[in-house]
Amino acid sequence: MANLNGRARRKNTYDAIVVGSGITGGMAAKELTQKGLKVLVLERGRMVRHLEDYPTAVMDPWQTKYPQGQLPQAELAAHYPVQRRTNYTMTEYTQHFFVRDDENPYTEENRFDWIRGYHVGGRSLTWGRQSYRHSPIDFEANAKEGIGVDWPIRYEDLAPWYEHVERFIGVSGQHEGLAHFPDGHYQPPMEMNCVEKAFKTKSEARFPERRISIGRTAHLTDPTEEQLALGRTKCQFRNQCIRGCPFGGYYSSNSGGLVAAERTGNMVIRPNSIVTELIYDEKAGKASGVRVLDAVTKKDEEFHADVIFLCASAFNSTWILMNSTSSRFPNGFGNASDQLGRNVMDHHLGVGASGEAPEFADMYYSGRRPNGIYVPRFRNLGDAATKRSDYLRGFGYQGGAGRSTWDRDLGSRAQGAKGFGAARKAALTQPGPWTMGLGGFGEILPYEDNRITLNRDKKDAFGLPTLSFNVTMRENEIAMRRDMQTAAAEMLEAAGFKNVKGHDGGYAPGLGIHEMGTARMGRDPKTSVLNAHNQVHECKNVYVTDGAAMTSASCVNPSLTYMALTARAADHAVQARKRGDL
Amino acid sequence: MLNRRDAIRGLALAVGVGSSGWAERALAAAPAPAALTWMPTALTQEQARLLDVVAELIIPATDTPGAREAGVPQFIDRAVGDYYEKGQVDQLLGGLARMDADARAAHGDAFVALAPDKQVALLTTYDQEAGVARGQGQSHFFPALEDMVTVGYFTSEVGATQALRYEPVPGAYHGCVPLAEIGRAWATR
Repeated sequence: MANLNGRARRKNTYDAIVVGSGITGGMAAKELTQKGLKVLVLERGRMVRHLEDYPTAVMDPWQTKYPQGQLPQAELAAHYPVQRRTNYTMTEYTQHFFVRDDENPYTEENRFDWIRGYHVGGRSLTWGRQSYRHSPIDFEANAKEGIGVDWPIRYEDLAPWYEHVERFIGVSGQHEGLAHFPDGHYQPPMEMNCVEKAFKTKSEARFPERRISIGRTAHLTDPTEEQLALGRTKCQFRNQCIRGCPFGGYYSSNSGGLVAAERTGNMVIRPNSIVTELIYDEKAGKASGVRVLDAVTKKDEEFHADVIFLCASAFNSTWILMNSTSSRFPNGFGNASDQLGRNVMDHHLGVGASGEAPEFADMYYSGRRPNGIYVPRFRNLGDAATKRSDYLRGFGYQGGAGRSTWDRDLGSRAQGAKGFGAARKAALTQPGPWTMGLGGFGEILPYEDNRITLNRDKKDAFGLPTLSFNVTMRENEIAMRRDMQTAAAEMLEAAGFKNVKGHDGGYAPGLGIHEMGTARMGRDPKTSVLNAHNQVHECKNVYVTDGAAMTSASCVNPSLTYMALTARAADHAVQARKRGDL
Repeated sequence: MLNRRDAIRGLALAVGVGSSGWAERALAAAPAPAALTWMPTALTQEQARLLDVVAELIIPATDTPGAREAGVPQFIDRAVGDYYEKGQVDQLLGGLARMDADARAAHGDAFVALAPDKQVALLTTYDQEAGVARGQGQSHFFPALEDMVTVGYFTSEVGATQALRYEPVPGAYHGCVPLAEIGRAWATR
């Protein structure tokens, strides 16, 4: 019997376990396997293989079951009441990459839009692909302003890892030479269209501190040998990324990190494996492995390793820690600080302005650029000129210009009589007016009482406890939103746009799909969960490298930072393991 | 006051496609086929025939095929069965019933049996009525029906590839191209 158990245990023993296969899990798998570790990747959802499992990737508009690929209201209401809230994630083209809410319940003490994909690759398949570095001021702000806790690292600590990740995933972008918007390693930038170029010239003449750049996005415009060898090719400008890319034109875990990991021969990936808790070895004083609930057989199984990486997305990694109680960790794994589940952050959005371009009626564009323009943060940069008295931190704009097409008079988009017949048909086959929009992405501060908690009374389909959300916007965010709207309108006005309208369509926490902060990094185990290398302060062989680790949110899209933190932590883990420190 | 023909020609010229003469041809559209060439599954035969005629009036064949050749009536029939909300279906069916009732009241015949100019005149009434209703924030069956036809047409293979321009794999992005080189609106973003 003892022998049998010994064999079973050996069979289930690896050098490292990575929990989650999304944007950070894929990077952890790649880094750890390439450094020679035998790695088990556990993914709670089904397998999604690059190319084979993108069923809608090359569908034409006329091949959808429903008009415009939209799902019937009854189906959305029954199965996707949360996933539908974005208005773009839940369509016939993308349905299979998002969870069914009725099978994955949680509690909204206050509205929280938790948009999730449970499958191999996770949201790396459906992400927005915008890839920016946090800046030096982002890492210093908490300490300077006395907000939350200080980051235990600075920009210089992460800069080489940003570059390491950028070189691997491939980022297209423009160097700008701004200290608060650090340049990275870029493939050639995508082109702005006529209206965007004119907007840049005119707005920058009036507001020189508001630099207008092309989006930095994880698309290949000049692939490297390494990227081509992985089977990835140049972006084809289809702009159907969210369905999975048959060209590997944008970075996903499925087309990148997991492929690289697979090729080392050091990775085993196990889908349908819900990690329910970390196993703590009291005697050794460290985690010995994880307990898994097989989503298909419904059986429990244990897997063991020297090192464990939690990359399950911020709230699910936090859930695993919360659910891992023992006599050593009665209030959740590594939670002596009581910070686990606190400081929920996202980026608040849905506010900005739009206007009509007065010129270029005879110009158009070809190709569908999967990217827009970017206006890096221009408030509170540390000098008097950019200082705001009404709020801390800042926001960036994402936006772009385009001409409307055949759908411009649908629904309430047109007023009055539409006309009909040959004249209307002829008009709709020509592009409509140029419009340009700017939408803000604002930093949310960490607040200890913006938190998720474990609800043992409400169980999911597997009988597992669920999360409860209590997250709200505060004065700082609300004041920032006013400025986000005003400043956008100001820029469009300055650039001569007509009919400029500010808008604030409202925002519910979570809608940015940039959840962060619930197991934050910090210098002091009394006030943070993770240390400077993403190790759980109280259990050094457990690393958390997804959004949960974030000490502050910055205003830039976070995935690049998660990946850089992951690669840095993986390097640390491999060195520490070699030294016998884990 | 401009008559409809002038108005159409004027608008067609304004968008640069008036010289082919199809605007006139469209007004003198060929009579609808006597029977449907397909079997409706959600609509009745009568409703489907009327829809077939109205859809073609809303998006007629010009230098490119119209709603009928694009399969728009079938598209709407399918969506009545599995997609539209009950309110949308009720509004659509109510609209179709009203068209027939109005045709009979004014001309003593079913809508599909009327001469094209009489059909166009009735639709013009609805269009103007709808313009007023929308101004007052009210819903009207005619623009709702137009939306169904418009979506069906421009997302069809015929609409996307012939009336519009469709490129499944563009391969590159060019940000400033003379419209004349492209000629039509892109079917997808």
